Amino acid sequence: MTPEELKNLKVDKTVDARGTSCPGPLLAAKKAIGEIKDSQILEVLSADEGTKKDIPKWAEKKNYKYLGTIEESGYFRIFVKK
Amino acid sequence: MANKKFCLGLFTGSVDKLTAAGVVLSGAAAMDMDVDIYVLLQGARAFKKEIGDDASKLNMSENAEMKAEFMESLKKLKVKTWLEFFREAKEITNVKIHMCGLAGKVWGGNVLEDFVDIVDDIVGIGSYINSAAEADVSLFI
Repeated sequence: MTPEELKNLKVDKTVDARGTSCPGPLLAAKKAIGEIKDSQILEVLSADEGTKKDIPKWAEKKNYKYLGTIEESGYFRIFVKK
Repeated sequence: MANKKFCLGLFTGSVDKLTAAGVVLSGAAAMDMDVDIYVLLQGARAFKKEIGDDASKLNMSENAEMKAEFMESLKKLKVKTWLEFFREAKEITNVKIHMCGLAGKVWGGNVLEDFVDIVDDIVGIGSYINSAAEADVSLFI
């Protein structure tokens, strides 16, 4: 998805993991995805560079759909559809 | 689909390697892997009730002279202690922690109550080898 499309997404749950280092954001995503329904969208906020690679790979292995990442100032917004 | 199996032979009792094991374990937990951890010789000391995540009682395996800086950096980065990583992984996925009977005895631990409360049982080496043989991922730290 394009950054514009991502910005306009209706997100069902946002988890803010900006205060944690790896593996904190990944575990936050893992916990949060258990709290939404199939087809709903999770947004993960992370300031950890490795998360940008980690979450798409995790999503692929778990059969979730990685939608894309928006880079904000000092952090990332990562979108995954369950 | 059945969960993938992850087997970890945990020989180390040093705080840096235990922390690394905790990070790896978190990755396995995020992937919903079934995890079997076998605590071997040096590792058993760290799992004693009176040691646990008391970093002052644990050594570093590398850069030992920089332990203070290492611990301070972990704290600044809000990294969990090794024991917190292990506890959290147990909450998230199916993690079993098996204490090698010999290893426990070496450090004066004879029964389950001698160890931190995340240890599930005390086993012999055959259990470890069987688990490692069946695992999709097998690591030794």
